[in-house]
Amino acid sequence: MGIDRFLRVAGLRLRSVFRRGAVERELDEELQYHVEQQTAENVRNGMSPRDARNAALRAIGGLEFRKEQVRDTRGTRWLDEISSDLSFAFRSLRRAHGFTLAVVVTLALGIGANTAMFTLLRGTLLRPLPNREGDRLVYLRQSAPGSDQANISFSVPEVTDFRAEAKSLSSIAEYSQMVPFTIVGSDGHPARARVGVITGNYFDVLGLAPIAGRLTTPRDDGPDVPSVAVLSYRYWMDRFGGDPRIVGQTVRLNDRSSTIIGVLQPAPDYPRRTEIFVNMVTSPHHLSATMVTGRTHRMSELFARLAPTATVESARAEIDRISAAMMRDHPEAYEKAAKHSVALFPLRDALNERASATFWLLMGAATFVLLIACANVANLTLMRGVGREREMLVRAALGAGRARLRRLLIVENLTLATIGGVLGVLVSAAALKLLVAFAAQFSPRASEIRIDATVLAVGLATSVLAAILLSFMPRVSSDGALASALGASNGGRRITLGHGRQRVQQTLVIAQIAVCMILLTGAGLLMRTMMNLHSVDTGIQAEHVLTLELPLQGDLLKEVMKPENLGNYERMRDRVASLPGVDVAALGSAVPLRGSLDFEVKAENRETPPSRPTPRASVKLVDPKFFSAAGIPVLKGRAFESTDRRGSGLVVIISGAFAKQIFGDDDPIGKRIAWTGDVLRFTPFSGAWRTVVGVVGDTRDHGLDGDVTPSVYEPFAQEIVLGGALIVRTASDPAAMQQSVVRAIRDVAPAQLIEHVATFDQIRDEAVAPRRLNAMFISSFGALALVIAMVGIAGVLAFAVTSRTSEIGIRMSLGADAGRVRRMILSEGGVLLGIGVALGLAGALFAARLLRGMLFGVSPHDPLTLTGVAVMLAAVGVAACWLPAARAARVDPAIALRAE
Amino acid sequence: MSKPNDLVQGTLDLLILKMLALEPMNGWSIGQRLKQLSADILQVSDGSLYPALHKLEQEGWVTAEWRQSENNRRAKFYSLTRAGQKQLKIEAGNWDRLATAITALVRLQEV
Repeated sequence: MGIDRFLRVAGLRLRSVFRRGAVERELDEELQYHVEQQTAENVRNGMSPRDARNAALRAIGGLEFRKEQVRDTRGTRWLDEISSDLSFAFRSLRRAHGFTLAVVVTLALGIGANTAMFTLLRGTLLRPLPNREGDRLVYLRQSAPGSDQANISFSVPEVTDFRAEAKSLSSIAEYSQMVPFTIVGSDGHPARARVGVITGNYFDVLGLAPIAGRLTTPRDDGPDVPSVAVLSYRYWMDRFGGDPRIVGQTVRLNDRSSTIIGVLQPAPDYPRRTEIFVNMVTSPHHLSATMVTGRTHRMSELFARLAPTATVESARAEIDRISAAMMRDHPEAYEKAAKHSVALFPLRDALNERASATFWLLMGAATFVLLIACANVANLTLMRGVGREREMLVRAALGAGRARLRRLLIVENLTLATIGGVLGVLVSAAALKLLVAFAAQFSPRASEIRIDATVLAVGLATSVLAAILLSFMPRVSSDGALASALGASNGGRRITLGHGRQRVQQTLVIAQIAVCMILLTGAGLLMRTMMNLHSVDTGIQAEHVLTLELPLQGDLLKEVMKPENLGNYERMRDRVASLPGVDVAALGSAVPLRGSLDFEVKAENRETPPSRPTPRASVKLVDPKFFSAAGIPVLKGRAFESTDRRGSGLVVIISGAFAKQIFGDDDPIGKRIAWTGDVLRFTPFSGAWRTVVGVVGDTRDHGLDGDVTPSVYEPFAQEIVLGGALIVRTASDPAAMQQSVVRAIRDVAPAQLIEHVATFDQIRDEAVAPRRLNAMFISSFGALALVIAMVGIAGVLAFAVTSRTSEIGIRMSLGADAGRVRRMILSEGGVLLGIGVALGLAGALFAARLLRGMLFGVSPHDPLTLTGVAVMLAAVGVAACWLPAARAARVDPAIALRAE
Repeated sequence: MSKPNDLVQGTLDLLILKMLALEPMNGWSIGQRLKQLSADILQVSDGSLYPALHKLEQEGWVTAEWRQSENNRRAKFYSLTRAGQKQLKIEAGNWDRLATAITALVRLQEV
């Protein structure tokens, strides 16, 4: 097509759209001119003026018809029609506002739930990692399942072996995190920061870029380089307000000054949240001989990039080979019974480890909700479609083509679905904050969750798909059906469905109930899990206890040795204890229920059989009142006394389960135990024998669903002070005491860091928060599904009652009483309910197995939950059927029959 | 009598293009002229002329402007565009080939 012709054609098209009035007037005038000319001609040929004009009009063959033909030539007809379809859709939807509201709300909820879950899924699981070639990154994890350790990380000699021998890994980076560092910036106030100690190649291996300054390189490795620090994006924003001038400034990290060289791009925190990355020289411990040569001094997490030709499988095989050789060559570092093993995962899988199952489960649940919503809307549309069949027939009779009618429906449904979809997206946008907080419990990538173009596109696509599906529900009559349909309806109100359609409708209701049953079973199982968790005995008395962490500042390995620590902590404790409203204040190295470090333990004159791993126990330093403050019962022997101090005989108290583990049924009091193992060398703890003076109750430090934590308590005042925590038992609400407790500590130690102020109840709550959120989401999906499904079944029955009014009238005039009619309708609903529940039960038995990993203390096929949900669903279902049944029972036979 | 749909498909377009190649004309004159020139053999229905004209216009073969007609009335006058002249050549060629072929077939001696 030549350019001039193209422009001419385009101009004409635009004109016919935008100057429609003018174009139409010209057409009128043109045809008018023709008619006048022809009339004049006819008059000249001897006709009367009136005949002449009629003949002229006849010759043209119908003015309006010709105009339509002309309009067709413009190729813009569909546009006119769409806009008239749209305005028609709006008008007809406004008229049927009950229907419109039901459909829009149902779709909004369905699409909203899906969009929200998809947003979650995309942000965390589906989007490629922000790292360059992120799919080539792998993460290595050493575990010792035999001694119950899921991640023991790697020692420097192990890393050296991997570096030397693993050809399938092009480079290996190390990352380790110890206790938080103390950072002092230009403002002079100390604060604690989570510091990751890394090798210089860390960022290069991980494929991350700076957004300000530079990142570390291998030149930053070794003992004789300046200390440098890289800030994480979040820390930079939170603490330094995103000020780029921070680059080049000096901060104090523990007792060393370090230059901030750059800021890292936003990246997922893995394996732990990190605020500042520093090179090895910043942490003197990392370059010490104990660290560099100790094969059991495991501190490093390993990240690696696959070599160009390697695959995850080949790398895995090689790592297996190398670690088998290590264990053979250094049997002293790999206790047989601990069953050391090294696993290699793609980094993405490692990041998604905890999120994957949960998020896919929720996505599945949301999809179910959408399916129910669509089924419901389909049912509503079907019912409305019946009422409109006459309308459709009349339209067809007036010349609307089938395609045109179908399009009318599609436009109508698209309008509905789009409104629903937009509302849905708005709902999920409003819930975004909640979503991110939820996701953060499971995934280090939660901060990447946002509603982006893809999410919007998926939301839109879902709406459009739903609309198109719905448009094919009502019947659009074919030419042949017209006459017969009009004949059959005979001008009367024809509002019944054909048998096929009725079947479809009933199937939809059954499917809704079945899906509902599955969702509610999931919700029920998760709720029971929550109840079980809440009834778990943590081993402490949670009421009225406030806890505060009071960490040491600076380089911990040096700080713990300072003799004044003990006096400082005791002063803080005594000051708080003197506050009115405080019953007991006690000191511990850590807050109960929050984990602390653990060591291997040996008992005097008792050998661990070689088939069993050396027992391990958590080390806890506590003062005499600790057990009464925390509510941990003393089962045997005594609690610590103020005489258990430096210089007196070394004593310990052990937890009940641990006593059983090492001493069996023997009385542990008076027996002696000692810390043991290679790691001890790298710590300030001595391996001296200590006499057991007491046995106390067990606590669960690793979550409410974990096992009890084997623990060994040492007197706070006897050896070293690891750091402190205050356990304050109050007479009234502990949260209300918080301020006065903090003020009391500040009185005696103004510079003391105070962290994690929380009541026992809050700590306990943190442990179940992810599960509770999970249960909450699934339950709300279940509730949503229940409401939608109940509206569905009630709607279908109500419709059935309406369409059978005359039948019911006949039945009643033949002697059926109201109760009988009610029973008839109820039993019809009951059959649907029954089939739905039965199918749902089968589905739930299958689907609940997917939940297994998230349950606690309840089997996925828990008969109580299944029966409970089935009974509840049936009860709510019958209640929903009651309304239409009652209406049927109120039918007045005389009126019903007269209406016919 | 020859009705418009008796015309070979697309022939009306060709006839209109040819008429307009002679001089710009309004719709009514095109109809009249067709009757005269074909000695009333080709009677194009007045009605079908206009959809055809508009289609040609929308295709860009002809263009239209409003002018005073011979009897001093405003009328829509169509004229051929450059693209339309080319199109006329193509369609005339097509017609020639078709006519030749059909003539040859019709004149075959029956055995």
